[in-house]
Amino acid sequence: MKRLIIMPAYNEQDSILDTVREVEKNAPGFDYVVVNDCSKDDTLKICRDHHIHVLDLPINLGIGGAVQTGYLYAYRNGYDIAAQIDGDGQHDASYLEMMADVLQREDLDMVIGSRFIDNQGFQSSRLRRSGIHFFTFLLRTLFGKTITDATSGMRLCNRRTMELFIRDYPRDYPEPETVARLLRHKYKAKEVPVKMRERSGGVSSISARKSVYYMIKVTLAILMERLR
Amino acid sequence: MMSFRLQIILVVILLTALAVIIAMLKKRTLDLKYVLVWLFCLVVLLVFSIFPGTMTKLARFIGIYSPVNMIFFLGFLLAVTIIFTLTVSLSRTTGKVRKLAQMMALENDTWEKETKAAETKAAETGAGVNADHEQAHEELHLQ
Repeated sequence: MKRLIIMPAYNEQDSILDTVREVEKNAPGFDYVVVNDCSKDDTLKICRDHHIHVLDLPINLGIGGAVQTGYLYAYRNGYDIAAQIDGDGQHDASYLEMMADVLQREDLDMVIGSRFIDNQGFQSSRLRRSGIHFFTFLLRTLFGKTITDATSGMRLCNRRTMELFIRDYPRDYPEPETVARLLRHKYKAKEVPVKMRERSGGVSSISARKSVYYMIKVTLAILMERLR
Repeated sequence: MMSFRLQIILVVILLTALAVIIAMLKKRTLDLKYVLVWLFCLVVLLVFSIFPGTMTKLARFIGIYSPVNMIFFLGFLLAVTIIFTLTVSLSRTTGKVRKLAQMMALENDTWEKETKAAETKAAETGAGVNADHEQAHEELHLQ
């Protein structure tokens, strides 16, 4: 059983090393690959210096393009399971083993780590939470399934889902949209409770100014998914 | 009707644009595929500017009072069409560039792995490391 962890990284020089070391320590049963999305800082250099396996994109593709590169790599190299965690230290890699178990045992297409099942760990700001709850409502209305944390970047999938992601993956803010796509195709997705931490370095890709754009874009994307 | 002065101005502008486009086509700065729609647009506007009579009839048929407005309206429609086709081809190109970048990253990765494997192999064989090393590189190129 070959399993891979994909870590997209854009300007993560302060946290990438810690994240990788943690993955090596807490998810020893997984291979990993960092996808450097043409960072402007020393992310690539740090990876090379420490012999961290890194896929280096020649141009900046955005988070979606970077993650998709990881799925492409996983699929082509015969991995059975591909997991995805953020390179900023928010996600605890020790959950991945459990998530992989759930995926196989229940024969699922994707397992998502959710902050909002047990409501433990870092819960994000109130405003962001209400945005996430709105997506939960939207997905339930359109697809009839409850996903409590559609924005979670901690997820794990099988080859079938990899195929879907390789064919098409949104450029930016991909998480809720890909969940919607999965649900539309009647793929089996399930959430498991995880605890997340506050990011240890870098800045969120969604600033206050961008959050309005984020909500509109993602909502439209989910609606479009329903129309397809 | 359109004043003779406006007619002259329009014709001069359109002919200049036409000349510029053709010159750029000659130098291959522009791709004919994307220029066809521009050429079509220019020619249509040119015909209407030189023969305002044809335009007057058409304008009356559509229900536009002034033939000048007809020219502007037509120009606007054609411009919007061109911009839209550009948006479409931009979207396509973005997808292609993404694919290209991803393939490049994967290919580089494979190449690095192979080089590393070849180097380890060369180191293991011991003597003549440099020669082996070069040979390994050559083999990679041949592949």
